[in-house]
Amino acid sequence: MNIEIKSLHFAYPDGTEALKGISLTIASGEQIAIVGQNGAGKTTLARHLNGLLKPSGGTVFVGDWETTQHPVAKLAARVGYVFQNPDEQLFSRDVLTEVSFGPRNLGYAKEKVDALAQRALALTELSEKTEVNPYDLSPTWRKMVALASIIAMDTPIVVFDEPTTGQDAANVARIARVVAELKREGKTVIAITHDIDFCAENFERVVALSRGQILLDGATRDVLGQEAVLAQTYVEPPQLTRLGKRLGLKETVVNQEELLQALKK
Amino acid sequence: MSDRLSFHVQRDSFLHRLNPLTKLTLAFALVVVAFVLPFYWTPIFVLFAVIVPLSVSGKIFREFSWAALRLILPAVGFLFVMQALFQPIGEQVVFKFYFLDATTESVAYAFRNAARIFVMISAFTLFLLSTHPSELMSDLTRRGLPSQFSYVVISTLQIIPQMQAKANAIIAAQRSRGLDTESSFLKRAGALGPLVGPLVFGSLVEVEERAIAIEARGFTSKRAKTSLYEIADSKFESVLRWSLVALVVLSIGLNLWHS
Amino acid sequence: MAFVNVRNLTYAYPLTKQPALQDINLQIEEGEFVALIGANGAGKSTLCYALAGFVPHFFKGELQGEVEADGKLSSQSTLSEWTLNVGLTFQNPFNQISGAKYTVFEEIAFGLENIGVPREEIKVRVEEALALTDIRELARRSPYSLSGGQQQRVALTSILVMRPKLLVLDEPTSQMDPVGAKEVFSAVRKLAQEGMTVVMAEHKTEWIARFADRVVALKEGRILMQGAPREVLTSDLLFENGFGVSRYTSAAREARRRGLWTKKSLPVSLDEAAEGFGAIR
Repeated sequence: MNIEIKSLHFAYPDGTEALKGISLTIASGEQIAIVGQNGAGKTTLARHLNGLLKPSGGTVFVGDWETTQHPVAKLAARVGYVFQNPDEQLFSRDVLTEVSFGPRNLGYAKEKVDALAQRALALTELSEKTEVNPYDLSPTWRKMVALASIIAMDTPIVVFDEPTTGQDAANVARIARVVAELKREGKTVIAITHDIDFCAENFERVVALSRGQILLDGATRDVLGQEAVLAQTYVEPPQLTRLGKRLGLKETVVNQEELLQALKK
Repeated sequence: MSDRLSFHVQRDSFLHRLNPLTKLTLAFALVVVAFVLPFYWTPIFVLFAVIVPLSVSGKIFREFSWAALRLILPAVGFLFVMQALFQPIGEQVVFKFYFLDATTESVAYAFRNAARIFVMISAFTLFLLSTHPSELMSDLTRRGLPSQFSYVVISTLQIIPQMQAKANAIIAAQRSRGLDTESSFLKRAGALGPLVGPLVFGSLVEVEERAIAIEARGFTSKRAKTSLYEIADSKFESVLRWSLVALVVLSIGLNLWHS
Repeated sequence: MAFVNVRNLTYAYPLTKQPALQDINLQIEEGEFVALIGANGAGKSTLCYALAGFVPHFFKGELQGEVEADGKLSSQSTLSEWTLNVGLTFQNPFNQISGAKYTVFEEIAFGLENIGVPREEIKVRVEEALALTDIRELARRSPYSLSGGQQQRVALTSILVMRPKLLVLDEPTSQMDPVGAKEVFSAVRKLAQEGMTVVMAEHKTEWIARFADRVVALKEGRILMQGAPREVLTSDLLFENGFGVSRYTSAAREARRRGLWTKKSLPVSLDEAAEGFGAIR
């Protein structure tokens, strides 16, 4: 299912122009990271993908649906959205009920709801914790419950808002495994992130926003190599990319394996 | 999210420069006078001879008239119609609505009551438009109101935008999980749990963290607090306040003597 | 005599058996910048609360040992005396907004009003603090209209303006863009040079290595290791315990495993990594 954004403009009620003409096509099965400084419009853009915000100008299509024509609750069948703060969504007495909430809303039969929930719980390493009250879990695991509750909806497109914020190395690795699995299943994954190393290691395409416009859009390697342009939106290239540049490598490297391979040559 | 958390409109005017307590006293005095002075046209006089001119001199006539016409008038108008129709006094019928009669007397009665309520709300609207809440609280704290009390008042005033921000975030999150909040009432009632749960839990965490945050910034410090704002006060204003108090006492006296 | 002395500190939150902190001993010199690292739940936040006096004054529970700063014991001070010298920010910036103020400027002045700083001095100090964290353009905005990263800057500024002798920051840059986060590290470094003692819990090891004087690694409520950033962040002990370290360190470690990295020590910074990997080419 493709996403087609055409000259999208958006202004908040107070008049702040958050998006100033964004055009973007996201093909089915792509892994895209959206980066940029605080206030660049990343979250505003992402919220257009499932209709939480409707364009002031331009159009957003998710498959053949224009987002203005469908309520958010319906768009939820196509676009899953994982919010930054899990505490803004968890309400059930146990993890299993919480994770089943989304697929139940989508109207699936009980067997399918159970199957989807179990799969999501396995993917987020929560299978041992299905009976626990989400609020008895540490914030780290609450984050995973929030992830699972969206993955269980089995949407072709999943959006993550700052998935690694405040997470330790072990949990960042866990989230990376979830992204990889979604990719294997052929889903489109879109993440808003400040964690540029995470972005380099898990996404194949990067869109850099600056002041409501697209600054750069392309393959991860091509975008993250452009240090001077990225600086305009307060992003630094990943550590290993900077290292590769310093070493004078011809190719831009974005992860450890590429660095070590390039050095062998 | 809204940037506008209070009614206050920043202007440079005589009214804005008055001490907050003076304006508060004035608002109270106008209300008391409008209610107790035993002359039929008192509320109308107070409105057009005092409140409206003050809004002009305060350079907030536009904002004031917007509030008066769009917010106060419809509510007071409704009250007027209801009282005119339901008040069982008088003989001379001026208007019939099914079995309900409005008489000359009930219309006059309803008009006076509506005018009084209008004065009450517009006096305080004028006060809120021309007074920054922080200045009011700083001034009252300086005069001996416990700072905990003024914190509670001010933070309660701010609860609305805060809760709004929180509630919006929660609604967005649950709608994204397919929760239908846009259609039938029944469905919306069913959506209450997923919306209220996080709001309550969030508020509990928030209360604890907020307490830590303000404590970390010396909230319960034993030292005498200061204020960012210099709040003007003068002998003249003090005299003015006491005159207003005298006016209130006089009106009440006149009311008692008259009846 | 160290500025901060934590002695045999063991603490469990009310209604819990497992202590959040166990047998913590920590000395910090005046003007030192100490970074706390560790997994979520390792005790970083609890240690921050203990240094800032909220354990045990706000969070009750079982406490043994003591925290001393500037020659005074936290258990013998009241919380409001303690917070005059010790500033704290924690993770969620939204909940740190006082709720009593209408603009960022007023919000930052709040603490100074509370401790009775004269009006003219408040204005000067707020202006200085706004400049220090580079948020002058936010001064007239409502704190509630800001993004998470901006609110985090406001929370930090609200504490800096009080000029604490000991500054305790619990993940102060988690929601900031990368360059913004680096700027905060650099500003804190400068404050430490001017004599402020700083304890900061963070995950961003590249900036910890560059800006902090010392790293304290916590695991399951205990200090696993502490020392100079290079020594701690490149140690095998940290690697074996699954701590997150910079990509420079992990790439060099992998290169060493493959027999490519020949230097004795592993790098923690871009410069060191460039030097070490440069030798491989």
